[in-house]
Amino acid sequence: MKKIILGIAICLSQFASFAGNEAQGLISQVNKKFSSVADYTAQVNMKFDVPGVKMNQMRGKVFFKKPNKFRIKAKGIFFLPKQNPIQNIAALLLDTTSYTSVISGYEAMDGKQCAIVNIIPLKSDGELILGKFWIDKSEVLVLKSQITTKGNGTIETRNIYGIKRKYALPDQIVLNFEMKKIKMPKMMSVDLNKKSKAKSDEDKKESGSITLNFSDYQVNSKFSDEVFTETE
Amino acid sequence: MQEFIAILKNEIIKTIRRPRSFIGFAVISFICLMLQFAFLHDGKEILAFVTQQLEGLFDMQGKLVNGNLICFIVLQTLIVQMPLLVALVTGDLVSGETSSGTIRFLLTRPASRTKIVIAKWLAGIFYTVLLLIVLGVFALLVSHMMFGNGDLMAMNSEGMAIIRADDIVWRWACAFGIAFLALSVVASLATMLSCMMDNSITPIVSVMAIIIVFTIIGMFDIPSFDLIKPFLFTTHMISWRSLFEDPIPTGNIIFSCVVLFAHIILFIGVSVFIFNRKDITT
Repeated sequence: MKKIILGIAICLSQFASFAGNEAQGLISQVNKKFSSVADYTAQVNMKFDVPGVKMNQMRGKVFFKKPNKFRIKAKGIFFLPKQNPIQNIAALLLDTTSYTSVISGYEAMDGKQCAIVNIIPLKSDGELILGKFWIDKSEVLVLKSQITTKGNGTIETRNIYGIKRKYALPDQIVLNFEMKKIKMPKMMSVDLNKKSKAKSDEDKKESGSITLNFSDYQVNSKFSDEVFTETE
Repeated sequence: MQEFIAILKNEIIKTIRRPRSFIGFAVISFICLMLQFAFLHDGKEILAFVTQQLEGLFDMQGKLVNGNLICFIVLQTLIVQMPLLVALVTGDLVSGETSSGTIRFLLTRPASRTKIVIAKWLAGIFYTVLLLIVLGVFALLVSHMMFGNGDLMAMNSEGMAIIRADDIVWRWACAFGIAFLALSVVASLATMLSCMMDNSITPIVSVMAIIIVFTIIGMFDIPSFDLIKPFLFTTHMISWRSLFEDPIPTGNIIFSCVVLFAHIILFIGVSVFIFNRKDITT
């Protein structure tokens, strides 16, 4: 009996070690793709579906520089999630000493076999709680991610790749999140005639999304850093 | 017609020259400047009341505090006071002259009573236009000079709508148009009460009382009030705000304009009717 239990334990540890090694292998391949991009600029079209906020789509220009300098320049007001996955995913995966990774399963996504790689931070004092990445094994692309942070809950990202797939730069990113619908103080809204809503409705979480469509990528064009600091 | 124009001219000069007319201009310019300077110094902190719910989750990028937002806030704030300022001047257009006895001299002119009361009402409307011009200059132009142009974060009880800067000029034009219609209702109501009463204070106080009562009725979520709410002019006085929603509730705005216009016709019709039958005993 003891031999059987010992055997199972050895098998499980071997399996865990294998899953960990495979996860690290995938991440290092993803990092290799990311490392080929020192910077990029692209045109972006942003569509917003934020609960309680009506906002038309708008165009802008994206600037990215390694390791995590990121800016969208656009004429007007727009929102991006605070833990911006576009900015953070590459930086997060690059720092391989700060987390442990393990494959938690496999899933088919958009007709491609994906490994689900979980990333657990080694220190508990950081913002990240858990990172989950669906990595297409054949092309080594992150098709989906779920990043759970202490402050902002879970933000899910779906990536659709096009001609810049060799750089792991997506044509479309859809950011999905959940939030409570914003409550406007009556002092600010001065909507004297509007009926007040039931409290249960106000506290209910609603899902929202921001869709970013990229075009005209300019990769490794070595633009100036001033773009990240200059004011409008 | 020439005679009517002469009376109208005379009434406009009388209305503008009265010291109380300048109270309105002073109050509007003071409130506008006060709010503008407050936002210039503490704009982001004041706005944090609204944005703090979003700022936990989002990085809000772009110029949040700008001329359009300040104008929107100023207009929201002044929508409560403006009718009172209009009533202050238009409330004693007829009753003031009745109480002082100068109405007798006015009625010795060959013009009909209808023409006289219409001229007085138009003088009140002219004053309303002047008030709105002052408001437009201070709230819109001065705010743009101080804060610059930008997208408007229009707040309402449902949340907010971001109105793009290049899609806003026509909305302001229509908003001021609806505000004019709303204030014209107040001017017409004040003229009507002024025709009914013989002292200058009572119509002014009555208009204020009516506005306060109607506003309170509009504020309460009581089902029995729901029946009358659509027909109270105070319900439609803030319909200019609907122009800053997305999508714009065009049907509601048109209905509001029709209700406001109907009130003007009703009030001025009653004014003419009463003034034509009024015994001048003072």
